Amino acid sequence: MTGDPWLVRALLACYPASWRRRYGDEYAQLLCDLRIHRRPRLIVDSLRGALGAALNQGGPLMSNRSPMTTAVWAAGLFTVAGIGFQKLAEDFTGVAGSVYTLLIAAAAVALLALVAAAAPTAVALLRGRDTGAWRYVAVPVLGAAAWYGVLRLALAISHGHGVHSAPNVTGFVLVAVTGIAVVAATAWAAGTVLRRVPADQPTRLRPAALVVLAAGMAVTTAVALVWGLRVQAGDPTAFHGDQGILATPFVPSWIATVVLMAAATVLATIAGRRQLLATR
Amino acid sequence: MVDELGRWAEPGLLVLASLADGDKHGYAITNDIAEQVGVSLGPGTLYAALSRLEERGLIEGLPAEGRRRPYRLTAAGATELSAQATRMQRLATLSLGRLRLAPA
Repeated sequence: MTGDPWLVRALLACYPASWRRRYGDEYAQLLCDLRIHRRPRLIVDSLRGALGAALNQGGPLMSNRSPMTTAVWAAGLFTVAGIGFQKLAEDFTGVAGSVYTLLIAAAAVALLALVAAAAPTAVALLRGRDTGAWRYVAVPVLGAAAWYGVLRLALAISHGHGVHSAPNVTGFVLVAVTGIAVVAATAWAAGTVLRRVPADQPTRLRPAALVVLAAGMAVTTAVALVWGLRVQAGDPTAFHGDQGILATPFVPSWIATVVLMAAATVLATIAGRRQLLATR
Repeated sequence: MVDELGRWAEPGLLVLASLADGDKHGYAITNDIAEQVGVSLGPGTLYAALSRLEERGLIEGLPAEGRRRPYRLTAAGATELSAQATRMQRLATLSLGRLRLAPA
């Protein structure tokens, strides 16, 4: 290999794995032939090509265009947003109570829809159609155990310290980052199982379930928005005070959770649309 | 019409035109297009076009020669290139004719 092997490997690594399996060797040779290390314009072109390849496949987190993979990542994002919302709402028990109940119900419907969509794969897994896939089931269990360990550590670090003190913030960041990592690892494991386990799919179950998933998320997002407005109407001092996550201003925490929910809804809608198109 | 012009200008057509002259690997295609048309295709653009054309069955990859894989125009690719070139020729004739008729 002539030229800069490190640069060629790095540019190649920007492409999705499935693309690399098909074109990797010849593309690496072309980059060497073009002496890419001396031509910045071609480096930019290669990066643009990698972005296009990733988007064409639904992005690096959603390889091979599987609607269920997209739906699982949407559910992961929605879970993170939901935990954030729960953390935000814990100081407002009784405020906008009926709205809060509606939010919980809509979120439950969304997540039950995801379970329904994934049920045929779970059945196939239980029937032993892919025994190797069982190891992915361990990911959320080990992740939850790791998160609990980090939580205990964070509690020990922050014990006796004020809310904005360095130990408390460190503990919170540790718990939050680990939690997000566990959710991401679980989504990855679920997506892998859904891709590799051959399942019998009732024709209408999965599209219907994904439509319900997107609708449930949309309702949850709208209700979270209304919930914040109700808090503003019912308790303006809280709305403008430091009752957000980790005793930060309320409004940024509220907006962040609503935006995350909206993003999850968009992803779920994309997944539902793809599934509908695939079953036509 | 804008869409059609965009399609004519796209790298895929340049690749089809290059392969109409014989099988070539990636580097040979970029050199051929640069020499014949004066367009410099970057590696990302070239392989986006190659994968799209291959997916549509307009070209096919041949067995690799070392780390280089030559590509060949398929019958469907030749038909597509011919159809596009005919339309471009018709447009070129029309445009040049009308420009000559137009008062200065």
